[in-house]
Amino acid sequence: MSDGLDRLDRDGALAEALGSLGSATRRRVLRTLAAAGLIGAAGLAAAGAADAAAEPQGDIAILNYALTLEYLQSAFYTEVERIGSLTGETARLARIVGGHERAHVRMLLDVLGDRAVAKPAFDFHGATDSQTAFVRTAVAFEDLGVAAYKGQAPRIASPAYLEAALAIHATEARHAAWIRRIAGVLPAQSAFDRPASAAHVISVVDSTHFIVGRTRAAGMPGFTG
Amino acid sequence: MAEGRSEAAEHTASRRAVLSGASLVAAGIIVGGVGAPAIGSGSRLGDAEILNFALEMEELQAALYEQALRHAGLTGELAQYARVVGGHEREHVAFLRQTLGSRAKPAPAFDFGDAVTDPDRFAAAARVLEDLGVAALDGQAANLTKPSLAAVATIVSVEARHAAWIRDLLGELPAPTAANPSEGAARVIAAIRRTGYVKASA
Repeated sequence: MSDGLDRLDRDGALAEALGSLGSATRRRVLRTLAAAGLIGAAGLAAAGAADAAAEPQGDIAILNYALTLEYLQSAFYTEVERIGSLTGETARLARIVGGHERAHVRMLLDVLGDRAVAKPAFDFHGATDSQTAFVRTAVAFEDLGVAAYKGQAPRIASPAYLEAALAIHATEARHAAWIRRIAGVLPAQSAFDRPASAAHVISVVDSTHFIVGRTRAAGMPGFTG
Repeated sequence: MAEGRSEAAEHTASRRAVLSGASLVAAGIIVGGVGAPAIGSGSRLGDAEILNFALEMEELQAALYEQALRHAGLTGELAQYARVVGGHEREHVAFLRQTLGSRAKPAPAFDFGDAVTDPDRFAAAARVLEDLGVAALDGQAANLTKPSLAAVATIVSVEARHAAWIRDLLGELPAPTAANPSEGAARVIAAIRRTGYVKASA
């Protein structure tokens, strides 16, 4: 993933957090996770401990973490389609992949019901305004999504949730390959796709400042996406 | 559970497939009995059977790419695809052989016919085997112990990337569905048998 980002994220917005996390970043990541309801006070208190302390605990927390990522992706594709800044094959990708990401949100909301975290408010800071910015960001998002699901898959207890997560995981990998080919980089650049911890993923998302707030309190009923 | 019943039916079908002389790829997952408690319980034996199944899928793919690169006169991006993906499959074979150690089964013999002499046939064959590889690995994920699942997961998304790439080259949708389908062992074995690519033990 890092090679792709090196080549594509020339502004450094997404790659900024790919290196080792400093303690300030780590605290911010943990606060983000806690705010999203993904970790409790124990995780927050363990701010100086290993990354494992920041991982979502239990299937519901893992699915909410996945939901947060899917909210982000679906909002990104929906917005770029609404703005109409894409043409040709890239526009086709955004339409189809956006449909998948919205379906992932619905799948996760169906499973989580009133335990679903709130949909955040987003500001993509220009990443949806041009084809170049869109492609660069989409490559980073899709590769990150693959790594995020892979990081959680062995931590999922329920076989049914695992099956759903892996069905999404493989789809994200197909998206990643497709957008990478459009970007002119190898669709599959290594024989093994590495997993990413939640702390790492959230730190990357955090560094983009794409998530600007929550639209409702977590756990409130009546949310339909 | 209805799911349990259909799984049991699959296991029976798998056993029947082997008894009627199915390929070693089939045998890889059958030896010891698919549907025996070993696999359902996610024991080490279950892992070995499933990883051998994965190994034979990878051997099949690696051989396809290797032979096509030698005989199919591939050019352009299709040649690049075969080189890059073939390299990945060889790495997957090596990884699984290392993981399995003495439990790794020998590679079967393959006969790909015109899939390794004709570029169009090759592309079609690659597309079938890559889509099948993803579905087959995901179909066994819940049966693996967590460490083995973590290992297989590093492979399965790469197979999904391969599948998307070759589909794109063929003018097909790289990601046709929001939820990538998985397949049980019996259906995977049946699909491999239909290709006729697996001949016999090496």
